[in-house]
Amino acid sequence: MENSFNITEVAKGISVCNYKTNRFKTGRISFNITVPLGENASAYAILPYILSRSCGKYMDFSKLNARLAELYGAALIPSVSKIGEAQIVRLAMTMIDDRFALENESIYQQCAQLLCDLVFEPNFENGLFNEVEVNREKRLLLERIESQKNDKRVYALLRCEEIMCENEAYGINYYGNADDVKALTPKSIFDAWQEMLKKGIIQINVVGNANTDEISNLIKEQFDKIKRDEINRIETKVIKTANEVKKINEQLPISQGKLVMGYRAGITGQEENFGAVRVMADIFGGAPYSKLFTNVREKMSLCYYCSARLNRQKGIIMVQSGIEQENEQKAIDEINNQLKLLQDGEFSQDELSASVAGLKDTLLRVLDTPEDIDAWGYSQIMSKKFQSPQDIIKEIENIDRQQVIDAAKNVTLDTVYMLSGEEGEDNE
Amino acid sequence: MNNVTHIKNDLLKDGYYKIKHDSGLTIIVFPKEDYATSYAVFGTNYGSIDTVIKTSDSENPTSIPEGTAHFLEHKLFESEDLDAFERYAKTGASANAYTSFDKTCYLFSCSENFKESLEILLDFVQNPYFTQQTVQKEQGIIGQEIKMYEDVPDWQVLFNLLKIIYHNHPVRIDIAGTVQSISQITDKVLYDCYNAFYNLNNMVLAVSGNVTTEEVLEVANRLLKPSKDIKIEREVALEPCEVVDNYIEQKLSVSMPLFNLGFKESYDTPQRNLKEQICTRIILEIIAGDTSPLYKELFSQGLINTRFGSEYFAGYGFATVIFAGESKDPNEVSKRIKAEIKKIKQQGINEDEFQRIKKMLYGRAIMGYNDVESIANELVSCHFEGYELFDEIDVFKSITIEDVNQRLTQQLDEDFSALSVILPA
Repeated sequence: MENSFNITEVAKGISVCNYKTNRFKTGRISFNITVPLGENASAYAILPYILSRSCGKYMDFSKLNARLAELYGAALIPSVSKIGEAQIVRLAMTMIDDRFALENESIYQQCAQLLCDLVFEPNFENGLFNEVEVNREKRLLLERIESQKNDKRVYALLRCEEIMCENEAYGINYYGNADDVKALTPKSIFDAWQEMLKKGIIQINVVGNANTDEISNLIKEQFDKIKRDEINRIETKVIKTANEVKKINEQLPISQGKLVMGYRAGITGQEENFGAVRVMADIFGGAPYSKLFTNVREKMSLCYYCSARLNRQKGIIMVQSGIEQENEQKAIDEINNQLKLLQDGEFSQDELSASVAGLKDTLLRVLDTPEDIDAWGYSQIMSKKFQSPQDIIKEIENIDRQQVIDAAKNVTLDTVYMLSGEEGEDNE
Repeated sequence: MNNVTHIKNDLLKDGYYKIKHDSGLTIIVFPKEDYATSYAVFGTNYGSIDTVIKTSDSENPTSIPEGTAHFLEHKLFESEDLDAFERYAKTGASANAYTSFDKTCYLFSCSENFKESLEILLDFVQNPYFTQQTVQKEQGIIGQEIKMYEDVPDWQVLFNLLKIIYHNHPVRIDIAGTVQSISQITDKVLYDCYNAFYNLNNMVLAVSGNVTTEEVLEVANRLLKPSKDIKIEREVALEPCEVVDNYIEQKLSVSMPLFNLGFKESYDTPQRNLKEQICTRIILEIIAGDTSPLYKELFSQGLINTRFGSEYFAGYGFATVIFAGESKDPNEVSKRIKAEIKKIKQQGINEDEFQRIKKMLYGRAIMGYNDVESIANELVSCHFEGYELFDEIDVFKSITIEDVNQRLTQQLDEDFSALSVILPA
């Protein structure tokens, strides 16, 4: 069916998520492979990068980049991330639609073939990953880990999550850690590659006007060669309620303080009907009409940004704000106060309607770019049931005040993290 | 009667309508019937580089504090009763605004209630409400925005570079100004700027998505208030060819040094045309793109990582080529880039390389016409720069290797280069 998500299982644990449409000038194809987030995080984290730098057919990155240029500047984007306690190895490509090809060739097919070459036929030397490439990618991954520190907003968020979830797999950085990266070898990366192809839950997203049957067959052929008896089972540990509040202060030479407050959302992460929690978190800090924006920023003038983001799979809500250090307590108190007001039902029907309308709009917007459609497919990979944006809209449309109040009452503060400038130093 | 032009492109099978509205405003509508959403941008040709007001009916140019355009953008959302965000909350649209070096734009995206949201947009942008009290409140918020950017190394490395490249051109100042400069902003300053620059003749409304020209015009006819036909003269300070200094460094909390290497260009005319811009993009791909020998060498030797890139940083009265990245040794990278430029300038660009890059950039150009957001924003930029959205594709087709080699002789002069580095604290 056109303009909707169609999911077909092509082999055990392997599905093709197709969104067929001819309204775009580009298409998007991605490989999404999930493994449990754990001890082996560094080995998995290096894989998307090493796989997308060269392969048996294009033996160094200049040859591969030349191939991409030939495919009309198709973009190849490797990444690693986490959804709940699953680590996702991802290779995505954006390409122009076949109708713009200058010689009637199929760009979709060639790109799908290239992705298969990259994932299944790496650039091996004596049966293992090439050592020079391994060393280079180790350096790049170490630099990536290090540079997470550069953006202080992101860094503060990562630190808060790490501290809040120190006894949960979720506390592990999706890039792994520096010591483990240094210890990686061509062999350990090879093992992780095999493990991932044998046991990973795999979803291939195809957005645009490609011939999906041909692409599915291409993928099936590859997996026919791989024994997949035992597929990963990944369960994310969700803590419904926080016991006591952890308070951590750290310092770096920075100009503005970064405050992050981590809450437990009071959910298990796999609720059938999740609409009320979504709406509640949005009224709290989702958009410019939210409580945090209108009060902490607009009324009190304490900050430029103050927002709350819900992480469904992990069942947490993270509030972030950039403030003057001396306003730390004032900001913490006000953020907690705004949550209390929600719990006490101190919000209007207008605020509720605004949130539902805003969320609805955001959800429908997903369908207007191939990248967002692909990202949506990716976001559903760990869900028990695939939901489309329209499915979510149905869940939120009829939420009433009492449901929002009940959802808010389940929220508890777990960790307060403050990153501030170094004492005794004038950072002006 | 409004004057309508239909602009089409056969390759893309797309087109848009351009209307010179009786009120003075230019309205552009790019229908995308099968999209779920619509996106509207209402922009004025006024940005951070406009630090003086000079209109055809004023006698003397007046100076305004740095950061005023951005401050005004923040304040325009307010009115005497409901602010614009509260009004949009009823339609479900998500609204925002941005200020760049040369323009200020107000936008929204929506899937329903398009006309109601457009009413809000046209209404609040045409009805300023500033008081000394609301100005003061904003100084706190923008003060925090400025401080946030002080902690963003990518931002700092760029503005440090601009400060040592430009003596006088206001592109050297931060878009938001400084805590000190915004403290000089008053409600009167905001009204003066508003009255000068928010004249409909100096503005454009671009809409893309699931809308029709009729819908847009119906709202526009009701809400637009005719503006007096005045001309705004953009005035930027005279700028010598030379850079101020060729090196600057700053320590920040970063893991590895960051660098921006800039090559300043000087011209008799303030703006670079489309052909010059596209030739430059081709040249930069050939010198430092990810298929280039230089990229391969730097990457293999551990001198750059995947964040390395180049851009043509050009606007009204300024043009600089910038190479940016992270490196353990920015000075060495800078040396190698300069050596490569020298080599390519001597040898010229070869035909194979040129064809390959052209094919790649052709694909990338097509990718740009995909989503309503980039289409609408691009329509605004094109309008202010005086060309049409599809001109790029035509220019692309017509460019020859001679054009590119000729262009190469006009830019990337080592004598006018400068290096900005952020070192780990």
